[in-house]
Amino acid sequence: MDIDLNVIDELDAEEFTEMECAVEKLLSVWEIKNLRGAAAIFHDDQHIGQKRRELQAVKHPSVDVKGLMDFRRKAVVDNLEGNMLIHPLTTPVIEVNADCTVARGVWWSLGIEGLSKFREEPMAIISLGMVPGTHIKEDGEWRILSGAWQRTTKNEYKKGWVRDMQPTNTRPPLTPEQDRNFLGKYAYMKDEVRKPSPEPPHKDTFDKFPEETDNIWLYINLKK
Amino acid sequence: MAEQISQERRENLKSAIKRLEAYQEIQNNMGRCMAAFNFRQADKVLDYFALGQEDVSLEYADEGVFKGINAVETIIKEVVGAEPKSGEMLDLQLTTPMIEVAEDIKTAKALWWCPGAGAIPEEDKDPKAIWCWGMIAADFIFENNNWKIWHMHYFRFIKCDYDKGWVKDTSMLNRLNTPVHPLSSPSTYHNPYSPLSVREGIPACPRPYKTWTDSSWMTEKDKSR
Repeated sequence: MDIDLNVIDELDAEEFTEMECAVEKLLSVWEIKNLRGAAAIFHDDQHIGQKRRELQAVKHPSVDVKGLMDFRRKAVVDNLEGNMLIHPLTTPVIEVNADCTVARGVWWSLGIEGLSKFREEPMAIISLGMVPGTHIKEDGEWRILSGAWQRTTKNEYKKGWVRDMQPTNTRPPLTPEQDRNFLGKYAYMKDEVRKPSPEPPHKDTFDKFPEETDNIWLYINLKK
Repeated sequence: MAEQISQERRENLKSAIKRLEAYQEIQNNMGRCMAAFNFRQADKVLDYFALGQEDVSLEYADEGVFKGINAVETIIKEVVGAEPKSGEMLDLQLTTPMIEVAEDIKTAKALWWCPGAGAIPEEDKDPKAIWCWGMIAADFIFENNNWKIWHMHYFRFIKCDYDKGWVKDTSMLNRLNTPVHPLSSPSTYHNPYSPLSVREGIPACPRPYKTWTDSSWMTEKDKSR
């Protein structure tokens, strides 16, 4: 690319503002990819209580800050050794609203994990899923407003995704029904037709779903 | 009266476009370099390194840091440029881009998570299928009108027999006890996944910066910044 930037000096106010807005959107998409990458790093290492910069929007009225902080302090494994959660981000679809204050995105991920709950030898896990989310600007930076990992598979490596589905690791452990209503809601099931969710955001997502806290755009394919 | 656009605002927009252009070119160049690396094209790989910089460097896994033009050229020719063998494969892919271009648009810091698969030829039997995942952190510098890799560090994450998986097979995580390469200096960081390793969030995500000072961001443990 060799862009002649001198044309910017020739733009009238309206043209300039339009271009400025288009550039701001592209910068936002870039920043949000960085933000989600940082979130993937933070997710992997599982050090409870370690000081780290905030990636979540915590000033938005919809955010339960206490609940969020309590959740972060809960250990779900005894040991850090052998545990890891590597969920690489691929297939990004990101839409930013007209004034660059809200962005919606969906990523897909083919990942791997190591899980050792009580110092036993870790279980190698194949972990496929999606990362849907809404992002807003807080203190001048893009932050995550909402969106949780949506599991497709989480299987012991040797068994494969048809024969095995591990639940989300919590304390106390989830029942299969609880897991199915939590992060495993749209997970692979060998005896079910796959549900097409989440839908990536479309260009008109903010026209159709203007509320930033409205996550219905993710589920438009689901039959009622 | 029509709104007047200040010169400062126009300059800011130009700067933003230049940064976006750099962002895209860095990803394209790294993608091309990755393809050349996977295809064992040493000369092409070297085309993407900043060989005009005395301190150009490449660190990979626990093989040490190869610093300086001669060291980088030598190790890439030896490792990437080795004669390809039947049944051999390396397929590292770039995902999860985290990139910052300096405010002065002279340098950039970039990180990718790289899932990968491979095949290692074996005597008198089929090649061994392997997983080889890692992370690539790199400083880039704008040299000769192009974004070049200035300091690159490949952080090995897993390297294991496909059949056994990353928990059961740790035999390929660390280098053999053979003499280290004479051109290498000690590794700065090597902490691949194993049943006993503890993840540290390294390499770290680069943060916005004005002008490049050093490569310490790659191994920054303080996540509060």
